Amino acid sequence: MTAPFTRRVALTLAAAVLTATAAEADFPERTITMVIPFAAGGSTDLVGRVVAERMGRELGQQIVVQNVGGGGGSLGAAQVAEADPDGYTILMGTVATHALNPLILKQKPYDPVADFAPVSLLVVVPNVLAVNPELPVNTVQELIDLAKTDPLAYASSGNGTPLHLSGELFKSMAGIEMTHIPYRGSGPALTDVLGNQVPVIFDNLPSASGHINSGKLRALGVTTAERAPSFPDVPTIAETLPGYETYTWNALFAPAGTPPETIELLNAAAKVAMADPAVIDRMGTFSATIVASSPEELGAHVQAEMTKWEPVVQEADVSLD
Amino acid sequence: MDFMSNLALGFSVASTMENLAFCLIGALLGTLIGVLPGIGATATIAMLLPITFQLEPVSSLIMLAGIYYGAQYGGSTTAILINMPGESSSAVTAIDGYQMARQGRAGAALAVAAIGSFFAGTVATFLVAIFAPPLTTIALKFGSAEYFSLLVLGLIMSVALAHGSVLKALAMVVLGLLLGMVGNDVYEGTPRFTMGITAFADGLNFVALAVGVFGIAEILRNLENEHDRAVVTSHVGRLWPSRTDFRAMIAPILRGTGLGAVLGILPGGGAILASFASYTVEKRLSKNPKEFGHGAIAGVAGPESANNAGAQTSFIPLLTLGIPANPVMALMIGAMIIQGIVPGPNVAIEQPGLFWGVIASMWIGNLMLVILNLPLIGLWVKLLTVPYFILFPIIMAMCAIGVYSVNSNIYDLYAVAFFGLLGYVMGKLRFEPAPLLLGFVLGPLLEEHLRRAMILSRGDPMTFVTRPISLTLLVLACIVLVLVLVPAVRRNRAEVFTESEV
Repeated sequence: MTAPFTRRVALTLAAAVLTATAAEADFPERTITMVIPFAAGGSTDLVGRVVAERMGRELGQQIVVQNVGGGGGSLGAAQVAEADPDGYTILMGTVATHALNPLILKQKPYDPVADFAPVSLLVVVPNVLAVNPELPVNTVQELIDLAKTDPLAYASSGNGTPLHLSGELFKSMAGIEMTHIPYRGSGPALTDVLGNQVPVIFDNLPSASGHINSGKLRALGVTTAERAPSFPDVPTIAETLPGYETYTWNALFAPAGTPPETIELLNAAAKVAMADPAVIDRMGTFSATIVASSPEELGAHVQAEMTKWEPVVQEADVSLD
Repeated sequence: MDFMSNLALGFSVASTMENLAFCLIGALLGTLIGVLPGIGATATIAMLLPITFQLEPVSSLIMLAGIYYGAQYGGSTTAILINMPGESSSAVTAIDGYQMARQGRAGAALAVAAIGSFFAGTVATFLVAIFAPPLTTIALKFGSAEYFSLLVLGLIMSVALAHGSVLKALAMVVLGLLLGMVGNDVYEGTPRFTMGITAFADGLNFVALAVGVFGIAEILRNLENEHDRAVVTSHVGRLWPSRTDFRAMIAPILRGTGLGAVLGILPGGGAILASFASYTVEKRLSKNPKEFGHGAIAGVAGPESANNAGAQTSFIPLLTLGIPANPVMALMIGAMIIQGIVPGPNVAIEQPGLFWGVIASMWIGNLMLVILNLPLIGLWVKLLTVPYFILFPIIMAMCAIGVYSVNSNIYDLYAVAFFGLLGYVMGKLRFEPAPLLLGFVLGPLLEEHLRRAMILSRGDPMTFVTRPISLTLLVLACIVLVLVLVPAVRRNRAEVFTESEV
């Protein structure tokens, strides 16, 4: 375990010495790798590919997307944490890699704060609480009342995922019990809720939106503090349970020790990319809200998320080796 | 009629220039790898998976499907000409097909295989088109209890119809189940058999396992036998079967198509089981069973139709339920997910163009194969004369690149090497790799559905027998199990097996 750490320190020192020259040399002078810590095809992958293409054009160098899936995102994140801090390896981080996994994993593969240099919080994506239309509830309050008398189960995309914890937070704030049924990803979880094998689901809004529109799922509430622009008629859960707020987010990180000038350049490119109408359009199709924050704001955001989730993780007693 | 307009939509999608081109590429590539003994459809599709991300979803699925049924064709060519089945499902074709070739009737054998496959492919395409939508509505009635019972049936069938020793097949299934346990358990997150390596947290890579056990092991086996490769192309004989041949093959083709279509739908080895089952049936129905093993035309026509029909109908569970009928279908699911399509009951409703386009392309692909197949035979045989010291390193390098590109995980390459050796040793000891792979694919699903059904029923195991679909499937599983244990059936299995080793 000490080897990568020592190497990282050495590289950090070297980078510090070279900072003055590096800033003058034109970054980027070769291809940049963006590690996406999930398999190709998921929502993080889609956000990553859209952003990588546009940022690459802005920086004048191609950004190559590399999918390093596994361990709920922690394998890819650990790889970037140990990469050379020169700005040529960046990570498309999420609420899972930079808030939940570090709290849940007993064996910590990386430190979400000390091992990374934040670049920019790009987008936040709402989650949604939905039920099979055969369940006789139309509002969040009716669901809470029903759950108090009838034992209910809810589906999520897996143990320790943001959606599972959204469900746990909901249970603890509403003071109800619901059995958690984990699946391998959103797809099979949705299928079982559509077939009424499980009545309730917490899902990402983008993956559930098609079924909500076709009436095969009844959306009770979105998990964000404000209503989602794509579903103005769906109330927020917070309208029933004040203070309830969860969402999935995507943010760019570089390894700790990356020169501040390089971070600035990456941040500026990210901001330009997120202001492009074509990018805004693509993000809109999966109900993602654009943030495009500064590096400092992202750093504060990670701290805030960890503070928010720690008690939920402890109360739900979720831990993975 | 809905069905006609659906098919029309499918053909309009499948017959765009671009999709026709991908269909052709897939069918050609499939035939090519089917002919090459070292590499199967599973490894090829795995390797091409990352490339398909750049394509339109329809085009990529059309191409991958083309590889799959193209490989079924190509495999038969080598099976007949040099007694070397390029695909496990054409192992049966080799029995009588090679004997026909030795009698100078290679042309007739190849033509019978092509005609049988085309007919079966056509019928099965229509079956997929007609029965896929009704199956879709049934699909949503399948909860975890039903899936569990379905998987039990599939596993029992795969053991029952696998050739060779039941004990060895069972051992391989169990080993596969154990390998499938590697990784974090879905419900509790407890790591199992990971040896403390985080890279194994999500389980062993299916592609790495398949490439190792099939691809690398096959290469090792071939290197060992290089000196006794003999190509008998000296006289291919007349291409078209005689009038008597035609009469002799009609009934077997019809029966093979029926058997293949039904077995292909079941999870648990569709096309492979179908060809063995068809051979057994033809032999039992034949007026002169002695002819079998010595160039019986029915022994080529039946199994070839069955395996092609099975290859086609194994798309039904994939497209409607989102569950894989065999390892290739498991990879197709990966391909769909890469494209952001959630395989499952909704594909037909949400993406009618994709769904019907893929189905229509199957028929077009089969037609292309018939036209391509016969003139190309001479070329295929020449490819086989490429020295193995050139061919094998290329195949191995491509396998390594293909596996690494899936997750950029170095441990997957170690897994390829390990399972390559394991596959070789298994071959030496006459253990079949297919049950291993099925155990590996189905095992985790079996556990997942068993535990989910139990959580949903609050720990009551009666859920499996009180739900009618689940009960029916379990009863079927019991019947299959009884049939295997009945001595008469067991004797027949032994007969099929010994002859396949000719």
